[in-house]
Amino acid sequence: MINRKKIMPYLLVSPYIVHFLLFVSFPVIFSIILTFHKWNIISPMEYTGTANYIKLFSDKTFFKSIGNTLIFLVIHIPLQIIIALFLAEILNQNIKMRRFFRGAFFLPVIVSGVVVSMLWQQLYGFDTGLMNRVLTAVGLDKVGWLIDPKIAMPSIALMATWKNVGLYIILFLVGLQTVPVQYYEAADLEGASHWQKFFRITLPMINPTIFMVLILSTIGGFSLFIEPYIMTGGGPLNSTVSAVLYIYKQGFFYYHMGYAATLGLFFAFIILAVIIIQKKFIEKNN
Amino acid sequence: MIKKTFIIICLAFISLLNSCGSGKTTGNKLLYWCSNNTDEINFAKVRTEEWNSGNPAHPVKYQPVPEGRSSEEIILAAVVGNTTPDIYSNMWQGDVEAYAQAGVLVALDTLPGFHDFIYNRCDSAVVEEITSHDGHIYQVPWKINPIMLIYNVNIINDLGLNGPPHTYDQFFDASKKFQKDLNGDGYVDQWFGYSEVLVTWWQRFFDFYPLYLAASGGAPLVKDDKAVFNNVYAVEVFRFLQTLYRRKYFAKEQLSARQDPFLAGVIASRFTGPWEIAHAEKFKPKGFQYEYSTMPVPDGHRGPVYTYGDPKNIVIFKSCKDPVSAWNYVKTLIDKEGDLRLLEITNQLPRRKELESDPFFSSYFSKNPKMKIFAEQSKYVRGTDASPVLKEVFDLISQEYEACVVYGQKSPEQAVKDASDAVDLLFIK
Repeated sequence: MINRKKIMPYLLVSPYIVHFLLFVSFPVIFSIILTFHKWNIISPMEYTGTANYIKLFSDKTFFKSIGNTLIFLVIHIPLQIIIALFLAEILNQNIKMRRFFRGAFFLPVIVSGVVVSMLWQQLYGFDTGLMNRVLTAVGLDKVGWLIDPKIAMPSIALMATWKNVGLYIILFLVGLQTVPVQYYEAADLEGASHWQKFFRITLPMINPTIFMVLILSTIGGFSLFIEPYIMTGGGPLNSTVSAVLYIYKQGFFYYHMGYAATLGLFFAFIILAVIIIQKKFIEKNN
Repeated sequence: MIKKTFIIICLAFISLLNSCGSGKTTGNKLLYWCSNNTDEINFAKVRTEEWNSGNPAHPVKYQPVPEGRSSEEIILAAVVGNTTPDIYSNMWQGDVEAYAQAGVLVALDTLPGFHDFIYNRCDSAVVEEITSHDGHIYQVPWKINPIMLIYNVNIINDLGLNGPPHTYDQFFDASKKFQKDLNGDGYVDQWFGYSEVLVTWWQRFFDFYPLYLAASGGAPLVKDDKAVFNNVYAVEVFRFLQTLYRRKYFAKEQLSARQDPFLAGVIASRFTGPWEIAHAEKFKPKGFQYEYSTMPVPDGHRGPVYTYGDPKNIVIFKSCKDPVSAWNYVKTLIDKEGDLRLLEITNQLPRRKELESDPFFSSYFSKNPKMKIFAEQSKYVRGTDASPVLKEVFDLISQEYEACVVYGQKSPEQAVKDASDAVDLLFIK
C-alpha cells in the first residue's frame, strides 16, 4: 500500500528535480567529461586526455581575453558603484520629479542589451557618431571610440555602466532607506557636515548593499558578451574579446566543444577565486 | 489521485518527446530544402512542381531552410538532431569537407550517371576543386556570385581616368585623386573604396581572398593539410591593402550603418557581387552610372584575372532513403532549363562551363548586360579549398589582416608568415 502522505512531497518536487538533473547536473558533468575529448558535434567524440588543458596554458588569446575582461571590470565596477551611489543619494532626497528620474534611470536596464549595443555603436561612430560630433563642435579631435584598440574596451565599459546603473541605483536606494533617521539627527546635533554623515554613517550602514552590488556587478562583468559581440566583434586587434566571447567562439564558431568546455571550467574557477577574495576583503574591512 | 497525477505527467512527457521528433516528411516524398530568400523559394516552387507533374512516383516536397541566424547553423543543428532533409541546395562549398568527413553526405560519384553529368556541366578544374580528400565527390556545383570591382562611372570620368583601375598603381592613382576632406575638418570624407574592417572570417571573401586569387591566378590557400599561401602574392595583396588604409584611401570606420556610401558617392568603388545590381537599380539616384570590372592585380600581372565565386552547391544527405531518385531530381533541377530559370528568377549565375557563349542563355544576357560581365568572369572563378577547418583558416588570416592591413602593426611579410604558421598548427594531429 503506497503511503500517499510520504509520496506526495516527492511527486510535487519531482518537476524541479527533473529540471535540475537535465539542465544543471547533466550539462556540468557532461562539460567536465568533454574537457578530456575532442568533439565537433557532427563527428564522434575522440578521447584526448589532458591535451585541452595543455593547449589552454599556451593560448595567448585566451589569457588576453581574461586580461580584457579584467580591464573591463576595473573600469566598470568602480564607475558603476560611484555613479549609482551618487545618484541614489540624490534620488533619496526630497527632490522634484523624483519618481520620474527613478523610472528614467531604470529604463536602460529593461531594454535589450542588443538594442542598447546597436544604439551606442551609432553614438560611437567615428565620422557620423554623436559623440564625435559633439567633440568636433567644441574644437576637440575625434576619438576612435570603437576603432582604437586602447579606447575600445573603456568605451564598452562606459556603455555597460549606462545600461546597468539603474539597477544598482534601486539597490542602493533600498540600502539607504534602511539607515535609521535617528543616526542622522544625532549627527546633526553634534554639528556633523554632510560629508561626515555620508562617510561615518551612510557608508558603514550600507556596507552589505555595497558588497551585494560588488558581487552582482563582478559576476555580471565576468559574463561580458553581448556588447563586444555586437559592437566590435572582439576587435580591434582582439582588444575587446572578453573571456565569454572567446569561449563562445571556440564552441559555436569553431565547434571545438572539448576545448570550449575546458576554457569554461577554468574560467569558472577564476570567477570563484575572485568572489572568494572579494568576500574575504569585505569581511576583513567589516 | 496519485495515479491520475502520475498518468498526466507521463502523458505530458510523452507528448513532449513526440513534439521533438524529426521534421522529415512521411511516405515516399523526398524533402528538399532550398534557401529562404523569396527568389530562390520561387525557383524551387517552379522546378519542383514541374518535376512532380512528370514524376508522380517520386514526388518531392520543397521547403525553405528553417529560419535561423544562418543557414549553416540550421544545417548543423539538423545534422546533430538527425532531422536533415534529403536534398539541400545552398551548401557553402567550404562546409562540405567537414560534413563529408563526418559521414553524413552521400558520395554522389557512386550514383549512376554522375560522372557524365558533372563533366558535361563543369570543366576538370572545377571537378578537381570539389573532390574531397577521400577522392569522392559529395557536392554538385550549382551557383556562383563572383566578387568584382563595382565602380561609379561618373566619378571615373570626372577624375579624367581612361577607365576603372586594373592594377594596384592605377588604383592608388585613382584613390589619390578622389580622396577629399570636404568640410575642412582635417578628416577624409570621401574614399575611393571601402571594405569592412571587421575581423569576421567571411569578410575576407570581399577583400583579401578575391585579391589573392586575382594576383596568384587562382592559387589555393591550403593543400594537403598545409598552408600554401606564404608567397609573394599574399604579401603583395597585404601590402596593397595596407597602403590603402595607411594613406586613408579606404575608411577604417564602418560605413555600412549609414546610407549606402556607394550610391551616395562617398566611395567610388567597392568589391562586391552581382546582388548589388538589383539594389543599385532600385535605389540609385538619377543620372548615377555604375559598371563592374575585374579585381585589381599587381602591376605587371599576366594572364586571366581570377576571383572568388562564393559557390553554393547541392548535397544529398545520407539520411535520404532514395538517393537515386534524389539525384535524378537534382539533375533536373539544374539542367540547362533549370539554370536558365535560376538566372531569370534569381539573377544568380549557375556554375556551368561556357555559360557566356552558350546560345541557350544568350537572350537572358542580352536583356541583362551587367550579368554578362559576371558570366564572362565565371570562367575564372575559384571556390574554396577542400578542408574541414576552412573557417579557422580564414579566421587566422583575418586576425593577421587586421593587425597588418588595418592597423599597420606588422609588415606584410611577417603577417602572412604568422598566418601561415598558425594555419599549419591546425593540421597537427
